[in-house]
Amino acid sequence: MARQQEEPKQSPRDPKVRARESSDPVKVVSNGTSGDSSMFSPRFKSVAAMAGWDEESLLIASLVVDDTPERQVKYKKRSDLHFKTPPTNSSRRKRRAQRRSPISMSVSVLNLDDDEETKKDESGKEKEEPQIIVNKEKETGDDKMAESSGVSCPPSSNLPCLDKLRDELSCAICLEICFEPSTTPCGHSFCKKCLRSAADKCGKRCPKCRQLMTHSRSCTVNTVLWNTIQLLFPQEVEARKAAGALNSSGEAVRQIPEKAFYNTRSVQSRRASSGVSSNREMTMRRRRVILSQDEEDDDAALAIRLVQNTEAEHQNPEQGAYNNHRSIRPLRASSSRRIPSQDGDAALALRLQREEFMEAFRVNHGQSGSSLSLARANLRAMTSRATSHRATTRHL
Amino acid sequence: MTKPAAGSVAGMLTMTKPSAGSLASRSTWVSTTSVSSSGKRIQREMVELNLDPPPGCCAGPKGDNLYNWVATIIGPPGTPYQGGIYFLDITFPCDYPFKPPKVVFKTRIYHCNVDSAGNVSLEILKDSWSPALTITKVLQALQSIFTKPDPYNPLVPGIAHLYLQDEAKHAELAAEWTLRFAK
Repeated sequence: MARQQEEPKQSPRDPKVRARESSDPVKVVSNGTSGDSSMFSPRFKSVAAMAGWDEESLLIASLVVDDTPERQVKYKKRSDLHFKTPPTNSSRRKRRAQRRSPISMSVSVLNLDDDEETKKDESGKEKEEPQIIVNKEKETGDDKMAESSGVSCPPSSNLPCLDKLRDELSCAICLEICFEPSTTPCGHSFCKKCLRSAADKCGKRCPKCRQLMTHSRSCTVNTVLWNTIQLLFPQEVEARKAAGALNSSGEAVRQIPEKAFYNTRSVQSRRASSGVSSNREMTMRRRRVILSQDEEDDDAALAIRLVQNTEAEHQNPEQGAYNNHRSIRPLRASSSRRIPSQDGDAALALRLQREEFMEAFRVNHGQSGSSLSLARANLRAMTSRATSHRATTRHL
Repeated sequence: MTKPAAGSVAGMLTMTKPSAGSLASRSTWVSTTSVSSSGKRIQREMVELNLDPPPGCCAGPKGDNLYNWVATIIGPPGTPYQGGIYFLDITFPCDYPFKPPKVVFKTRIYHCNVDSAGNVSLEILKDSWSPALTITKVLQALQSIFTKPDPYNPLVPGIAHLYLQDEAKHAELAAEWTLRFAK
């Protein structure tokens, strides 16, 4: 995987080298180290050295040059096939078509495109509707995919078949419109979540027909069906999504109360330091963002809190003192959880210093030199304050 | 988006069950159960059952608790249970529909698959339960054992024995019990 990612980087730099390698990969192997020195141009080698590739990895990478682009093309093809399915005559497609049921195959493709088209031209909907209803009447009732293709009009229109469709497209487990439907090998569709819990709690049998189902298939979403449902019942889907988001956010808060606590703390201290100059505020926020990327890292979280703390103290002594008093508790908690070593302190200092440089380059790129040096000095002061503060809190 | 949907469901509930005067208490259980998937599903089943009840059956929550239902089955014509009204208690587990509901006969019945405590031996209420089954289907299955008892998986072996050996005697006794307990 990583090698694959390297490929595009390597190839545009020196296409000549690549061509030579690909033409004669055997020679590379046989010649060994003496061979590859002549194979790569000095410019390419210097670039490779900068990227930190050693000669062995380069050699291995050069050997897979040949088949990688092809594989990517294949992948692209497959994804195209999956979503658009253009009419081709390749044998693989035929086999694919045979494997699927003929109904879902032929209709699903047309159906999605139709739906999208009608969604695009909102104005032409009224004109199309009578025709659609005529189409509807022609179709047989038992073919739900065909039905859904016929009903490309919005759900707001009172189609007589919409209730039937609702029944057809609802999950037998939760009795609601299928949310992210997953189809069993026997052809029955349920919500992905419902099917998974059914498999967990009731055994790996289809809830409808009791056929054995393999686990791997039960976790994939039937894209065509899901898109159809989203087009037909956008309100229900939205409601379900909103409910899901609500539930998950509630769970998140329950799962990590500590993090939530820190967040509120950070808000508090940000409020306390409302008098901070906008430039500094911005750098602080950026720093916070950068650090929050590795949130599991205790040191990073600690650094954020410490820096905020010192900042608040610096700006507003009274408030800062108050904050300081409050922040001791979480600090103690963290130190009791994992007592920081001397190495940890050194790492923290190094990290802060590195951040300082990064910030200096990033934030003050287009700004005057005076503000840059000012910011740098500020950050340096904060760093030293942070480390000293941490030392004192550790002694408490 | 979500509010109108919830409102419509509540409206349907009040519309279909106007007899129960505990509107305030219903609104409380609606709000508490709207979070759990089992509560949602039971509500949905209730709405559907009220909209389109199977013949000879009716079911609904006993009181404020959505998980405790009471159901009635009318003895199917052409059977010794004809004309009897059988009351059942249905208790939903909290992980319904992944676990089957518990069904207990409250009315005594002379039947080889129902014991004196009212327990029912029905495969779909035990091992062959499927989350795709609903209370409507359970009630229909119960109706079917009224017409066709299963003497090979009996809960009361004596009745099963009699049913196999002397069906006329069995029918006579069953009709007598129906008259005595279910009318």
